[in-house]
Amino acid sequence: MNLRILFFIKLIVLAFISSASALVIGSDEEEIYIDANFSGKNLLVFGAFYSDPSQSRDDKSDILIEVVGPSEDVVVRKKESFFGFWLNSKSVSFNDVPGFYYLSSTNEITNEFLNENNIGLLNKKDTQLIDWSALNIDWGNVKNQKEKDTFYDALIRTKESEDVYRKVNGEIDIIDGNLFRSYIEIPNTVPVGQYKVNLYLIIDNKISNEYSYNFMVTRVGIEEAIYSFSKNYPLIYGLISLLIAILIGWSGAEVFKRFRKV
Amino acid sequence: MSIYLPIAELSVNIFLLLSIGGVVGFLSGMFGLGGGFLMTPILIFMGIPTNIAVATSANQIVASSISGTIGYWRQGLVDFKMGGVLLIGSFFGSILGVWIFSKLVVLGQIDTVISILYFSLLTSIGLIMLIESSQVIRDRVRRKTVKRKIHYHNWAHKLPFKIKFYKSKLYISAIPPIIIGFVIGILSATMGIGGTFILIPAMIYFLGMPTSKVIGTSLFQIIFVTALVTLLHATTTFAVDAVLAFFLIIASVIGAQLGVLAANKLRGEEIRALLAIIVLGVATKIALDLLVEPSEIFNISVIRALF
Repeated sequence: MNLRILFFIKLIVLAFISSASALVIGSDEEEIYIDANFSGKNLLVFGAFYSDPSQSRDDKSDILIEVVGPSEDVVVRKKESFFGFWLNSKSVSFNDVPGFYYLSSTNEITNEFLNENNIGLLNKKDTQLIDWSALNIDWGNVKNQKEKDTFYDALIRTKESEDVYRKVNGEIDIIDGNLFRSYIEIPNTVPVGQYKVNLYLIIDNKISNEYSYNFMVTRVGIEEAIYSFSKNYPLIYGLISLLIAILIGWSGAEVFKRFRKV
Repeated sequence: MSIYLPIAELSVNIFLLLSIGGVVGFLSGMFGLGGGFLMTPILIFMGIPTNIAVATSANQIVASSISGTIGYWRQGLVDFKMGGVLLIGSFFGSILGVWIFSKLVVLGQIDTVISILYFSLLTSIGLIMLIESSQVIRDRVRRKTVKRKIHYHNWAHKLPFKIKFYKSKLYISAIPPIIIGFVIGILSATMGIGGTFILIPAMIYFLGMPTSKVIGTSLFQIIFVTALVTLLHATTTFAVDAVLAFFLIIASVIGAQLGVLAANKLRGEEIRALLAIIVLGVATKIALDLLVEPSEIFNISVIRALF
């Protein structure tokens, strides 16, 4: 674990340069590869509250870990009953929505704090007033506020059920009062792209220090090769699919020809 | 053991996939049907997205119809000229069908339209098969034989652009086969079916083709319609899953050959009645999905992912 050694070196260096509170972190992955057998992964994030190891964490300081996945555009459709048939009717497009969102804290963080510091997406779920201006949304023919809220809730609910949106607290382990460690579950349904990890050290309800870094989620393997080939060379992909069908269909007829004559 | 489908972006059990392909192939070989009308809804029930189920089903039918055509061609039961004329219509029909399909995907109505189309189609097929097989069983009990007219003279003989079809011993206008082909093209592109069960009665009753040449000729033209539909879907909706198609094709080609063997040894009517009940069961399931209030009335789809 080179990164871990690196982390302790960082820790020692920082101990000399600053005596105030500091946030030092590391992670065990810079890139996550998704192949056909990928069933999810626990991403390790670890660090220290203070650069001086002898100084212990007091109760007032908290750690907040935020992981934001690549953006995507999402259409939320609502089914309505027409003469007994349940059909898609109204739809709302949410643009630049994170494909993955994770928020974890040592203690429960209030929504006021999150709103004040412009952190979070899931926090809006619990508040009555959603700041729609911060989001890029095409409301279509959905006009009233209450109905808008139901579409927003549906988006969050679906993403939560797919395990790509999560808000947790108390899942960060604190070791020796100063070090912290957390395993972040990355399910196999996550979108590919660049992920940003934001860490905040909160003291007395204020962000005292923050640190960010990125990691990539990449698809690999034969499945990825087929996927990108089908997007980049659709005609050749289609022709190959046909060729496979023709060859198997033909050889099927040839192989069984003898049996049929009996 | 499960396998990851790269286009559908989900994992499915490989044995489940092979059994579905095998059973559908067996039934299609046994009854001389394409099997797409069962394959597509079963894939949708499995959780495969509707557009991928339709496009991949078309790809699979290419294989099973080639396999079938070769058998009929060896026996001289394919009217290539009639197949060609049908194809003129199918060509334009499938282009229109894929266009309609992609518009419906954008509007978010593809699932509903496919469900309604399948419900109507399966209900009709199921009822017709059930009535027909029960009649045959009843006639057999009464030891009655049904006489059939050899040749029909109808409006198809009165339209212009008449063409001689030597193999089918027909001299009819090219317009009715082109229209039939056109309709089959639309259905094939939107539903992922070959359309045998519509094509065969249409060729017998509207065109007056001899029954012996009908199956081979329809299979022959289905190869090209489904091949075109596969290409159109691969290039416009990007919904052909080659891995899914591969396993379905392997299993269905083997299943179809076994089905042909079984058809020669078994009496068909009872099994046909059973198939009719299966078809009606699938239709009922589709109807329930449309009529019962869903537990989640919202559904989301990602339309653009940023990389």
